[in-house]
Amino acid sequence: MDSKVEIKTLGALIKRNSKMFFKDKGIFFTSLVTPLILLVLYATFLANVYRDSFASSMPEGFNVPEKLIEGTVGGQLFSSLLAVCCVTVSFCANMLMVQDKVTGTRNDLTVSSVKNSTLALGYYISTTLTTLLVCLVATIACFIYIAIAGWSLSVSDIFLILLDIFLLSAFGTALSSVINFFLTSQGQISAVGTIVSAGYGFICGAYMPISQFGAGLRNAVAFLPGTYGTSLLRNHALNGVFAEMSSLGFPPEAIKGIKDSIDCNIYFFGHGVPQGAMYAILALSVALLVGVYILLNVWKEKRNRK
Amino acid sequence: MDVIKIENLRKSFGVVKAVQGVSFKVKEGELFAFLGVNGAGKSTTISILCGQLKKDGGRVEINGKNLDENPEELKAQFGVVFQNSVLDKPLSVYDNLKSRAALYKITGDAFENRLGELTEMLDFKDLLRRPFGKLSGGQKRRIDIARALLHKPKILVLDEPTTGLDPQTRKTVWKVIERLRKEEKMTVFLTTHYMEEASDADYVVILDGGKIVAEGSPLALKNAYTGDFITLYGVEEETASALGFPYEKIGEAYRVAVPDTATATALIQKYPQVFADYEIVKGKMDDVFLAVTGKKLTGGRE
Repeated sequence: MDSKVEIKTLGALIKRNSKMFFKDKGIFFTSLVTPLILLVLYATFLANVYRDSFASSMPEGFNVPEKLIEGTVGGQLFSSLLAVCCVTVSFCANMLMVQDKVTGTRNDLTVSSVKNSTLALGYYISTTLTTLLVCLVATIACFIYIAIAGWSLSVSDIFLILLDIFLLSAFGTALSSVINFFLTSQGQISAVGTIVSAGYGFICGAYMPISQFGAGLRNAVAFLPGTYGTSLLRNHALNGVFAEMSSLGFPPEAIKGIKDSIDCNIYFFGHGVPQGAMYAILALSVALLVGVYILLNVWKEKRNRK
Repeated sequence: MDVIKIENLRKSFGVVKAVQGVSFKVKEGELFAFLGVNGAGKSTTISILCGQLKKDGGRVEINGKNLDENPEELKAQFGVVFQNSVLDKPLSVYDNLKSRAALYKITGDAFENRLGELTEMLDFKDLLRRPFGKLSGGQKRRIDIARALLHKPKILVLDEPTTGLDPQTRKTVWKVIERLRKEEKMTVFLTTHYMEEASDADYVVILDGGKIVAEGSPLALKNAYTGDFITLYGVEEETASALGFPYEKIGEAYRVAVPDTATATALIQKYPQVFADYEIVKGKMDDVFLAVTGKKLTGGRE
């Protein structure tokens, strides 16, 4: 009975938080428009860089069909964009958690007998849902782009991409929840938002392949779970392209070389990380961060009462 | 019966001693006023009382139960109207109340029934679908009160509920509170900057620098800390001066300050010719506050 009632309370909190996100035109449209702007910027500025980089990595005299090049470039753009969006959008959507502290609404929620852990879970689930929704809109825009550039995705690739987006959104929300727990002002929200937007794309390998980093930095980013999320997305966005390369007679070494150069293969201190392990790392990171977040809230509740 | 009993309450923030050994009791059905300038320790005491803040020392009992031992159960006995409206501005009044009711596990039909009672009691049926942020100050306050009453609390805490409202809206809010006290027999714990609101309280505690500096009924406080004032009409200044007490000119009249009512009576008997047109009033709560704290407290400004 108690858990049933607690679930109803949680449901009401999720509904309230989600409505707050969609009713706040500023946050909602910023979250929605940012991925679309990024897509235009990526297509305008990074597409040529990816295209030239891919063409120059081909052995001399090797004729690569234009559709394959465009498919590779599109897959890279697609995966980079979504890898960044899942995390930055979650930070944006999770602003409500801090805004409630700033406006005093948090006191209105905690003055009731609702558990802090229920409140925390309410923020987490609603942020994950809203992040997923915005990222799915971005994904549709990316699918349209890929369809124009050169479609090579299979149904299983699409489902795997959706799974990657779900895991990355859950990861981004969990990370933002732990960080936002310590924030108490509007200025801090802006500062963290700016740092994440500017820095995350680099450290997860979305703006620039990790393979191009120095050895030290490469080993350092191998400790970050987001790196594996980007790699999973990249693998699934480019699966069809690699299959087509094989059928065209590309040597396996050449395909491996391309995969290494665009971070489809990630190496942890020289050891290749299989995709199953990437999923495990991402899922465990989500579980760990959510656990830390809930524990922080429980600790705070106990500290305030003793 | 004492619904709230606080003994030797202490709370510090670093080197700042916000509450220093405060003790008081609030009786059932009472309008209890808590007065003090900003930083006197009112909000800290309320936060501890409502289970929002940890205390450093002392004991808090609600209906005879120790707050430390029954925090969840006792929290539900409070309905709090915060100083600033803290409901969600983009959401409708209905959505706001529905989401807050769920925090007290009031959902479905139970919520609809309670909402019906509250809309009737506070007259806001026509506001239900409007965004909370678009309401006027008085309308917002009515909804704040409705939110505080959703779970039928035994004690209504009003933290400066009328600060920043125009006089007409303040009157409206007070009418609502008065009705609640009469019809729901609710205990009201009030902090306010408006002295005339404190005058209507059953019991007043004045806090200064985290300590209680005076307490009692408004009448007892006025008797203890202020005298009476005789306003004389149609007399010359020499006449007022001849009475031998401090006086001041107010319009065409003179206001003479005397230590107590007995002195005023003695003056009337001694100089009946002077008292052809006059009135006697007791000192106001402003005078009490000024006498015990040395500070003025009027409408949010010290």
